Amino acid sequence: MSSTFSGLNAATTSLWAQRKALDVTGQNISNVNTEGYSRQRVDLAAMGGSVVPAFFSTSPGIGNGVNADDVTRIRDAFLESRGHTEHANSARLTVENETYTQVEEAFREPGDTGIQNLLSDMWSGWEDVANQPQDEAARGQVLKRLETLVGGIHFSQDALGAQWTQSRESLDVLVSDVNAAAANIADLNKAILRANQSGLPANDLSDQRDVLVMKLADQVGATVRHGDDGVVDVIVGGMTLVAGSTAGSLATAGTTSVDGVTADPPRIVTGSGGYTVRVGGTAEGQLNSLNTIIPNYRKAMDDTAVSLANALNAAHVSGYDLNGAAGTPLLGSSSGPITAASLTVLISDPRLIAASSVAPTAGVPALDHGNADAIAQLRQSTTGTDANYRKMIVELGVQSAVAGRNLDIQSVISTQVDSARESVAGVNIDEEMTNMLSYQHAYAAAGRLITAIDETLDKLINGTGRVGL
Amino acid sequence: MRITQRAVALTSLQGLNRNLDAVGRYQRQLTSGRLINAPSDSPTGTNRAMQTRSDQAAVAQQARNIGDAKSWLDQTDSTLQEMLDTARRVRDLTVQGASTGSNSGPSAQAIATEVSSLREGLLSLANRQIGGRPLFGGVTPGPQAYDASGTYVGLAGPPVTRRVSDTEVVRVDTSGPVAFGPAGADIFAIADSIATDVVGNPAALQTHLTDLDNVMKSMQTALADVGARAARVEREEQANSDRSLTLSSRLAETENIDLPNTIMRLQMQQTGYEAALNATAKALQPTLLDYLR
Repeated sequence: MSSTFSGLNAATTSLWAQRKALDVTGQNISNVNTEGYSRQRVDLAAMGGSVVPAFFSTSPGIGNGVNADDVTRIRDAFLESRGHTEHANSARLTVENETYTQVEEAFREPGDTGIQNLLSDMWSGWEDVANQPQDEAARGQVLKRLETLVGGIHFSQDALGAQWTQSRESLDVLVSDVNAAAANIADLNKAILRANQSGLPANDLSDQRDVLVMKLADQVGATVRHGDDGVVDVIVGGMTLVAGSTAGSLATAGTTSVDGVTADPPRIVTGSGGYTVRVGGTAEGQLNSLNTIIPNYRKAMDDTAVSLANALNAAHVSGYDLNGAAGTPLLGSSSGPITAASLTVLISDPRLIAASSVAPTAGVPALDHGNADAIAQLRQSTTGTDANYRKMIVELGVQSAVAGRNLDIQSVISTQVDSARESVAGVNIDEEMTNMLSYQHAYAAAGRLITAIDETLDKLINGTGRVGL
Repeated sequence: MRITQRAVALTSLQGLNRNLDAVGRYQRQLTSGRLINAPSDSPTGTNRAMQTRSDQAAVAQQARNIGDAKSWLDQTDSTLQEMLDTARRVRDLTVQGASTGSNSGPSAQAIATEVSSLREGLLSLANRQIGGRPLFGGVTPGPQAYDASGTYVGLAGPPVTRRVSDTEVVRVDTSGPVAFGPAGADIFAIADSIATDVVGNPAALQTHLTDLDNVMKSMQTALADVGARAARVEREEQANSDRSLTLSSRLAETENIDLPNTIMRLQMQQTGYEAALNATAKALQPTLLDYLR
């Protein structure tokens, strides 16, 4: 036998529950466009009577209304971790692609301003000397063209160096950004832990934390390990960066000068202990360009400089200048071994250009042009500077095109994963509208129920026993 | 599968971006007029373009070399012609001096004077310069091939050549001793002897006449040689300008855009882009909200 007013009570719980559900719907609709927001759902549960039948049980077994205590956050953990991986790949490929694009810009090929063109000009200058070996203007011109070529080589090498320095600096910025995010995640973990322990909802805090985790996935390829009470640990390259409410830190190590890459490569290490961490994401891309991509092309430029100097010098010393003296090396280094940065023209007097291939006869220098012509023909060498430089540019083109294509493919995958995540966690307005209607109707119905009970009781109280009045 | 508005927006945005990127690429090609703006646009095309540019520079330089070779050969040709004319006049005078036999005195003296002055003319012709270098002086750094006494002061050495194509060089100079006879027996020495002997020893003139004929023959040979070389240079000039045209059109083929084709593609891409925009606007706008009252 149930109590007289238990129907009223059940209707009241329904009013509360529907109102709460409407509130949650409102929250969902408000956050339809919020980055990282996961939709929430009220878990409605029927309030039962006594579950275990007993001898003196007074429950009619109908139940006492509805319970709406729990608000759950809907999110697929597997899709999230897939998202972390794909975001990290995408970020790495973006950085690598940008690096290749900048390297291409440093070489300015194909076009009228590239090193190829400067080389062609220089070789043509030698033929002018061959045509007019007596003319100091032609000789001076070839020297100037040689200087322009050396300047062009310096320019490309400097551009690559500047690009390297910039990447190195942004690696430092990235690491301090990561450390700040890790500290934030630890704080949020603590707050979530406390909220969960005291039974309060922490859905919005969890959303904020997951946005930060996704940012770390982008930056250093972080993954998560779920712990108790909604807390997550953040792991980077096997190293735990955030454990519950304590955050570790990362630091950069290695050279800050582009010339020191081989001896002391830039890397990311743990803040305490200094162990090298194998990072992913943007940081991996940046480390790749710092340790591999840019140094490779700088090395290629050094090789170009050395091969140019060797070829020109070998040809030049076998000739004789306008004074009849044997030729001296044309190209050398301003200090240390010959590199693309230290390459310099050693001769400034046009008369010292060894255009002649014959030794002076009885002290009279011959006005021959054999050596100048021989130098001009170096351009045709299949193993010469021109051919090797062309090969390098073509390889750069291939690698850059591959990097671009990989990025295209990866962005399709990332977008698909993102939209799959969004399909689970995102807010669907149609769905919310339908829910809103159902809750509204349920609320109205519960209200009507109260009225019905009220009228019933009214009949009982005011109408009973008043026969014949 | 559950779909949300944001998921639809994300995928639509990606599609729109890809469309816009394609429009941007064609736009860039049209405004720059170039198909290849970076090596990654087409690595093989880049290789071809760079090779072609380098060949173009070589061909342009060879065209300059050919021009230079032509002016050397033309100069040599006209100088040799003039010298042959002068030599013929010397020969006429020598024949005149020999046939008059006993004519001593004023008329022999006149012949001697004229021959001497013709010899001066021959010398100055033989010292003719091009760009500060004597035409017949070999590789001498000095300004003259023959000094005032008619001694050869040029420097024998490797021939002066011009590179007219990647593989071919053409000799442009002519050696003085080869064209005008060896030292001591060259045209200047013969003219000198004639001038002396026409007055003092007319009997020796016959020998000089034979020598003169021999030297004139070698000058004619030199002239023929120069003509043959000039013809070769002309042929190379033709080949050079053909090659230059081929290279320009090859570079244009590799680097430059096909205008109608690109405009057409841009049009198509733009139409596609507009359609995508339209479709996205239609798909994103309506929700259940529009139908609930």
